[in-house]
Amino acid sequence: MLLAVLLTSCATTSKPATFFQLTPSSAKYKALQSRIIETSNDNELLSASAAVLQDLGFQIEESVVDAGMLRAVKERSARKYSQEIGRVFVFLLGILGRQIIILPVDLHQQIAATLIMHPVKNSTSHYNVRIIFHRTIWQSDGSSGAQSIPPGLQTMEMIYNPEIYQQFFAKLSKSVFLEIHQI
Amino acid sequence: MNGRFLILSFFFVLQACSTGSTKPPENLLSLTEAQMKIRSYQTRVFDLSDQQKTLRAVVSALMDLGFIVERVNVPMGLVTAAKFGNSGFIEATVMIKPKGDSQIEVRVNAIFNTKPIEDPKAYQNFFTTLQKSLFSS
Repeated sequence: MLLAVLLTSCATTSKPATFFQLTPSSAKYKALQSRIIETSNDNELLSASAAVLQDLGFQIEESVVDAGMLRAVKERSARKYSQEIGRVFVFLLGILGRQIIILPVDLHQQIAATLIMHPVKNSTSHYNVRIIFHRTIWQSDGSSGAQSIPPGLQTMEMIYNPEIYQQFFAKLSKSVFLEIHQI
Repeated sequence: MNGRFLILSFFFVLQACSTGSTKPPENLLSLTEAQMKIRSYQTRVFDLSDQQKTLRAVVSALMDLGFIVERVNVPMGLVTAAKFGNSGFIEATVMIKPKGDSQIEVRVNAIFNTKPIEDPKAYQNFFTTLQKSLFSS
């Protein structure tokens, strides 16, 4: 019975039909990730966006002007003090239990940004800019007793922190303002 | 000694069988009825004429669905996007091409953890979202 319940719970989480279904949070994320910016020059807006991403330390990997798309990445260390302390603590506990337990910690991360812009319906002077941030984290090696855990385990996650999006759009609106009103 | 030889030769026979069965099937590239059916689930024709506008609607539909757009090829009308959930990795490829002068054909195919998605409901859901995106942008 328990097995059946477990099996059905697995089946619901990986049901393909739900992959292409809007969720209640879709609209919330869309609002978080999009802004409407007033400009009639889409190329100017795209290059301003690229410049803001560069200011934020990103490398532009791909740009498709006709689709109003940019893809940029930045590499950073993912080390955290809390994880290191946790690792030492678990290691000491393991020694007490006469086992060597080394927890894998986050080592490196790649933060990626995908930006898409398109004109607002029935308007020639307004553009909808949407950016999505996500990151991939690589973990170090570890060991649990007799078994060693190889390094390089990857985890991916979307970034929904409102401050990151606000920061990007604040910089972009300033930059668009500067580029349009050049003195 | 004799028994050991027998077991050993038995393994050889087994191995010969296994190498024989790795030959690719003869109908590997032939179009089966099931494939035709899947193609029809994956394709939808819209009464539109602007290919670029349709491509932008596809991109925003995918983003609304939480996908990360990986590649866009405007002249070819190709969009590749991916999404990661709790249970795995989903990758979708969308092809947008004109059909005659007043219609556009959109074909999407998706894989989930390297396995093709064959559930028609998944594609139906995609086209419902695309329709919303087409008429709102």
